[in-house]
Amino acid sequence: MILRIKQALFITLISIALSFSLNSFSGDRIPFIGNWPSISGSDSILRPPSAGKGDPPFISLDEAAAKFQSKNVVFIDSRDPADYDIGRIKGAINLPFDLLEEFWPKVVGGFDKEKEYVIYCSGDECELSLFLGREMKSQGYPKIFIFFGGWREWERAKLPVER
Amino acid sequence: MGAGKIAGGKIDHMSLWNKLAGSDYLALSVRIFVGAIFIYASIDKISNPAQFARIVYNYHLVPTELINLFALLLPWIELMAGIFIIIGIYKDGAVLLASLMVLSFIIALSINLLRGINIECGCFSVSSKATSNIISLLIRDVGLLVLTIYLYFSKSKRFSLLE
Repeated sequence: MILRIKQALFITLISIALSFSLNSFSGDRIPFIGNWPSISGSDSILRPPSAGKGDPPFISLDEAAAKFQSKNVVFIDSRDPADYDIGRIKGAINLPFDLLEEFWPKVVGGFDKEKEYVIYCSGDECELSLFLGREMKSQGYPKIFIFFGGWREWERAKLPVER
Repeated sequence: MGAGKIAGGKIDHMSLWNKLAGSDYLALSVRIFVGAIFIYASIDKISNPAQFARIVYNYHLVPTELINLFALLLPWIELMAGIFIIIGIYKDGAVLLASLMVLSFIIALSINLLRGINIECGCFSVSSKATSNIISLLIRDVGLLVLTIYLYFSKSKRFSLLE
């Protein structure tokens, strides 16, 4: 029995070494200590009533939190710059749908179609994220996700923000 | 003759067990089968750590600070245990790990069955389309547990690289 336990510990140590070294170099790496919502019901997906069939997929708060940890995911705040300045999901880029003509050329120029984009807005009946998601999808961005719970859910779950 | 029988014509279970536990070919088949299951189960999780972390989060069993560490490590232990069981290096320790993992999966699924939470399994893939019927998942895991317990008590020493 002692031998079995020793062997099991040895295998565990190898696994720790491999998983930690892979996670330090992989493109899909996640932080060792992550941020997860501490509220219940974070896996329910909110959808606007106007959502249609061909729209980009909607994701729940916990899916957004999962994507937030990946380096290949960009968060886009579709609200006006005034709201964005007051508070936003940490690292989010501002691309206000109402000022799209002005912002699109200077913001979207650096976008990579291989990356995933999570679009959100305030979370209160705000459909800017859906409209922007439709626009980006029609412009040929294949990996668009809409986090309709938005800023309100994110902030309430005490996930990382910038102000 | 008569070693396999006791008075009354009933099959001597101990003798049957000794035959099974002593069979090198049965042990080898079960090792390949169990090892392959563990290897297969680990691949998708290793490739998608953020999505697997979300599934771990949804189990509501791991403290939020430890979710990422757990999600990074568990699939590597599955992979290593699977490989070690098949090639027969530190096989006994690997079998011990495999049994403990299956046992903990059974406990985790049962807790969420009792809680009435519908969870994504995260057993073989991180896709939410995978089956989420907890009862059938439990039956599958109990079957796997029987096989790992068989390997635990198997006396076969053949076809192993290192004892």
